[in-house]
Amino acid sequence: MKTISVEHLCRVEGNGGISATIDGKKVTEVKFNIYEGPRLIEQLTIGRTPEEDVSLAPRICAICTLSHKNAVLRAIEKALSVKVPKKTILMRELMHMGEIIESHSLHIFLLALPDYLGYPNAIAMAAKYDLEVKIGLEMKNFGNHIMKTISGRYIHGENPVIGGFGKFPDKKDLLWIKSRAQQFMPFVLKTVSLFCELDYPEIPEDETLYACCDPGNGKFGFWGEKILLSNGESIPADDYKKLTNEFVVSHSYAKHSLYKGKPYSVGALARINNLGERLDGEAGRKFKKYFNEHWKKNPLYHNAAQALEILYCFERIPVLVKKILKDENTPKIIPYSVKEGKGTGLVEAPRGLLIHHYEIKNGLVSNVDIITPTAQNAEDIERYCYIATQKLLDEGQEEKIRDRMDLVVRAFDPCISCSAHSAQVRQGKTDEWKSKLETILTHEEPAFLGIGNFRQGDDAVGIFIGKQLRDAGQKNVWLESSTNEMESFWKSNAGKPVIFLDAIDFQEKPGTVTFLPLLYALNNSSLVHKFSPFVTGPLKYNQLKKSYILGIQPASLKRGKTISPCVKKATREVLETLKSRQKKNRHFKDKE
Amino acid sequence: MRIVKLKKENLFPFLEVISKEADLWAPVKKYEDKHVFKAVEDFSEIDLDYQRTIIPPRRILLPPKTNMFEATQNTYKEDFSNVSKKIIFGIHACDVNALVIMDRFYNFAYDDPYYTRARENTLILGYSCWPDEHCLCKSTNTHIVTEGYDLFFSKLDTHYLVWIGSSQGDDLIRKQPSLFNEDISDKDIQTYLNWQKEREDAFQAEIDFIDMPDLIELKYNDPLWEELGKACLACGSCTNVCPTCNCYNVYDKPILGKNASKIVRCWDACTLENYSEVAGGENFRENRADRLKLWYTHKLQAYISKYGKPACVGCGRCIVSCPVDINVLTVGKTLSGEKVDAFWKRFNLQVKKEVRK
Amino acid sequence: MENSKLKIGIYELTGCAGDALLILDCEKELIDIFNAADIQSFVMAKSDNIEGDLDIALVEGSVTTEKEIEELKDIRQRSKIVVAIGLCATVGGIQARFLDPKEWNERFKKVYGNIEMTHTKPVQSKPIDAYIDVDFYLPGCPIGKEQFLIFFTRILKGNPPEKSQNPVCVTCKYNENDCLLKKGILCLGPLTEDGCGAICINHNLPCAGCWGPLKTGNRTSEYYLLKEKGFDVEHIKKKMANYSGTKIASFLKELEKEKK
Ligand code: SF4
Ligand code: SF4
Ligand code: SF4
Ligand code: SF4
Repeated sequence: MKTISVEHLCRVEGNGGISATIDGKKVTEVKFNIYEGPRLIEQLTIGRTPEEDVSLAPRICAICTLSHKNAVLRAIEKALSVKVPKKTILMRELMHMGEIIESHSLHIFLLALPDYLGYPNAIAMAAKYDLEVKIGLEMKNFGNHIMKTISGRYIHGENPVIGGFGKFPDKKDLLWIKSRAQQFMPFVLKTVSLFCELDYPEIPEDETLYACCDPGNGKFGFWGEKILLSNGESIPADDYKKLTNEFVVSHSYAKHSLYKGKPYSVGALARINNLGERLDGEAGRKFKKYFNEHWKKNPLYHNAAQALEILYCFERIPVLVKKILKDENTPKIIPYSVKEGKGTGLVEAPRGLLIHHYEIKNGLVSNVDIITPTAQNAEDIERYCYIATQKLLDEGQEEKIRDRMDLVVRAFDPCISCSAHSAQVRQGKTDEWKSKLETILTHEEPAFLGIGNFRQGDDAVGIFIGKQLRDAGQKNVWLESSTNEMESFWKSNAGKPVIFLDAIDFQEKPGTVTFLPLLYALNNSSLVHKFSPFVTGPLKYNQLKKSYILGIQPASLKRGKTISPCVKKATREVLETLKSRQKKNRHFKDKE
Repeated sequence: MRIVKLKKENLFPFLEVISKEADLWAPVKKYEDKHVFKAVEDFSEIDLDYQRTIIPPRRILLPPKTNMFEATQNTYKEDFSNVSKKIIFGIHACDVNALVIMDRFYNFAYDDPYYTRARENTLILGYSCWPDEHCLCKSTNTHIVTEGYDLFFSKLDTHYLVWIGSSQGDDLIRKQPSLFNEDISDKDIQTYLNWQKEREDAFQAEIDFIDMPDLIELKYNDPLWEELGKACLACGSCTNVCPTCNCYNVYDKPILGKNASKIVRCWDACTLENYSEVAGGENFRENRADRLKLWYTHKLQAYISKYGKPACVGCGRCIVSCPVDINVLTVGKTLSGEKVDAFWKRFNLQVKKEVRK
Repeated sequence: MENSKLKIGIYELTGCAGDALLILDCEKELIDIFNAADIQSFVMAKSDNIEGDLDIALVEGSVTTEKEIEELKDIRQRSKIVVAIGLCATVGGIQARFLDPKEWNERFKKVYGNIEMTHTKPVQSKPIDAYIDVDFYLPGCPIGKEQFLIFFTRILKGNPPEKSQNPVCVTCKYNENDCLLKKGILCLGPLTEDGCGAICINHNLPCAGCWGPLKTGNRTSEYYLLKEKGFDVEHIKKKMANYSGTKIASFLKELEKEKK
């Protein structure tokens, strides 16, 4: 078992894709692929001065460049004990609102809406939905304008620096922003009703855990010192790793996150779920009007949540401008002299929780950790796509899978390019499990664990295969029997991939073999199987990620019955595959 | 020439009157110690206690980028939107003299309508100044004005003496004559003369421009140019800040969705490497050296030979702008055999030392 | 009419997507852009993309995986004109700074461990001209709106775009900024291609060089100037390298030699 470093940086928006593999009536694999290569940005910033870092790190992403800017500034200012004045904080909030408006309006109007209205892109949609496209473009332009006024340009503005700003914007520019925000209100309200009343399909609803910053003081907002989870837990900024535990998955250059072995969601929907009660004004009224049970489990409501947040920003901007103009004699930049320290900055980027962590030694950056929202969402994106695909398959609506996955991925707003062009459905051959099992065995040496109950008909199949495997000389095979044996199993296999052998009811033809990542079996509520409690306990996230379940569709689970013939037949097939693999391995070893 | 007196407290009322029909441009503070000319509405922004603006006032007449006309295949429409009635107030003697040189240049071979029209609509209200260590205008004899202004304000203790240089200047005074006083006492004249004497003595920087044409001729192949070229960053700043530089470039900017183009004119600088043919390498010494030679030949030789004075008005802008200290003072002094302390000198010494090693 | 429009493809390799986003940021011109050209492929903005022969391909991002090398070669084959847009495509971006393949390997391992990527092999970041011929370069991190619109309109109308080679200082002076370098601040304006509008200096901040290195920039002189002003040589080198990608490798090597 190798150690995977969490010292890294992931880049997500840009070139990506999602694919689902179907084997008969089952989805055996969903992959959220990131085709873009590694940029190693964290590694690039090590050894640089904090100032250089503030300029380099936001280049991770163009769409949330200012979120990165705010996060790196919060982290570094904390590390170097720089206390910025109130006006500076207010201006940073204002530019952040610009980004939220820009990013959300681009997403909901220009990228997501064409799906719901049936167009390939927004420009084509403009012919009939002229007003919607115009509102979208104008809103986006307004967001951009705010970003440019305060940060210096649309993308990668350099005006925000450690300790403040290179230059404060002119009063008249700020006043223009304020009055424009007020004038735009009718269109904002239209936006909210449009997206909160859209007809979002119910597939793929499923519960998840939501995480976002807690702005404190019972307020809504886009940054804070603590992470709030929808189960009520709260994690201080410095302990962020408790939440994010990132790990590398081989099909992508982005890293994924799990909390206690389970995926969680971040983003506008997470914020509205966790903090929506705190909204006041018009946004508060709209929240009360529209929020319901669906918002808690349907990722497609990200779109509606984003619309609500746009409204929040439009209401907040005039207040911010007024406050900013009141503070006239604020110094532009607060100088500092500290050369060592550590700090974590939490910010809510448009698409969710963004974490920057820095350690500074001798005036140079010595350690960096950046965790982006899409890295955290990646697992849930795969899971929801899996759920959607499986449900549509169950309902015999295979033709809808591609579009639905597209819709789900895009709702997470992971990155512009993936959101426009992502889904791919691959039809696996019925016996694809064989080749998959073989691939895994070439790369890994997993432990096998036979699960089941001997006296319960086909449920014996897991134990049965396990026994036969042992007899055939396969190493590291275990059987679910006594608690003692289980304990030593976990002890000697910590961190190793495990292949669970069991009878699982997938509503398939009896005797059908299924081989799929354990993660799907655990997180899909339609597949919850009796063994899940004991599996989730000792399994560590990276072990879980590498483990699989090899299941056989039982014919009967009646007490006292013996294994039915069709299941026996499948068992033989499984054994043969495993044995032939064993031979190959031996042959390989001999050669060495 | 007529001289009138204006009480200090009457200055703003006067500006108020004259700015009714024209945009008033005046020096305002942009940085702690640096000023720029700006069209002002709020007079409290005006700061007359300034040394030199970063960019000379020619910027007001011909901005760095202007649209000349919009053209389609068979039509074109001129754009004179920069031509409007303007008053430039607070402009120092060197800059007034520089505008005289500009006037000559833009009328020389043919009339440049973009400059001349803007110029015709602009009144120049000069203002007296006090030299700092970089002002060279006494050497170039441009520290006083004899032409090129409509009014010129000399600041004394409680009031200004105002020279009227043109009939348009006179018209300005006549807009509200009650603000002015015609009787100038002997004491006023004495104060002015004393002030002028003190000012003459206050100049610290000096070069002898008379010999420059010959020196440049003699030193045309001097290693000096190579040394300058080695150090020059080709940033163009010296050229862009010089009040007597006037090169420009013209390019077209097609309009999206229309079969038309805008023709744009923008400042160019001979010190830039704009059209270098050599690809990739690091060594552009000869080019930079040649360009600088051209620049200084133009300023210090060609113009003097033709008009008897240099195309430098001693404003000191190149001195405060060039990051590597290449400027009319260090170059002029080196040409006349004096020792100078400048980065470009030190740099060349260091490079030589390292090569020897 | 439809046929006479130039066929355009806008592609993204590895980068921050800022250049493609900037095209979408031309909100007021977006509809005109789509009307004036036949945008065949633009993954960020539309889903009905066609990958066929093109008149012009705009390529963003650096080449960072083997798959991208193939994609890029394919784009070159299909396109009459290829334009590199943005710093990542023109010089390799900030990620191309590891000049030494060994260092890159180490850093890669630090981040991703020893995991074998199943989809495509990563390679060290390079600008696109490391693999194909590039007809035009439009630098910037990200590209500038004004510069892009002029460039795009010109190329649509068949006028060869201007190859501006001025340093940032030119626009900096147009905007009447006080020179920071003269004041002793590390400003890379003289070594950086113009086009951004000297934004940083307009905000009292020094140019960090994000438009990429000016081919003809006098790096040696500025290097000594900064050294004389008291900057640490390692710091100067890093600053110069941050946004220069692979393009000033020979200069940096020279400096290394000098030190020895
Ligand atoms: S050469 Fe220098 S001192 Fe002379 S006018 Fe030009 S900028 Fe001023
Ligand atoms: S002489 Fe100085 S100001 Fe002029 S281009 Fe060279 S470095 Fe720039
Ligand atoms: S501030 Fe920087 S960009 Fe501006 S002139 Fe000086 S060196 Fe050039
Ligand atoms: S001034 Fe320099 S760093 Fe700033 S935007 Fe322009 S090129 Fe980039």
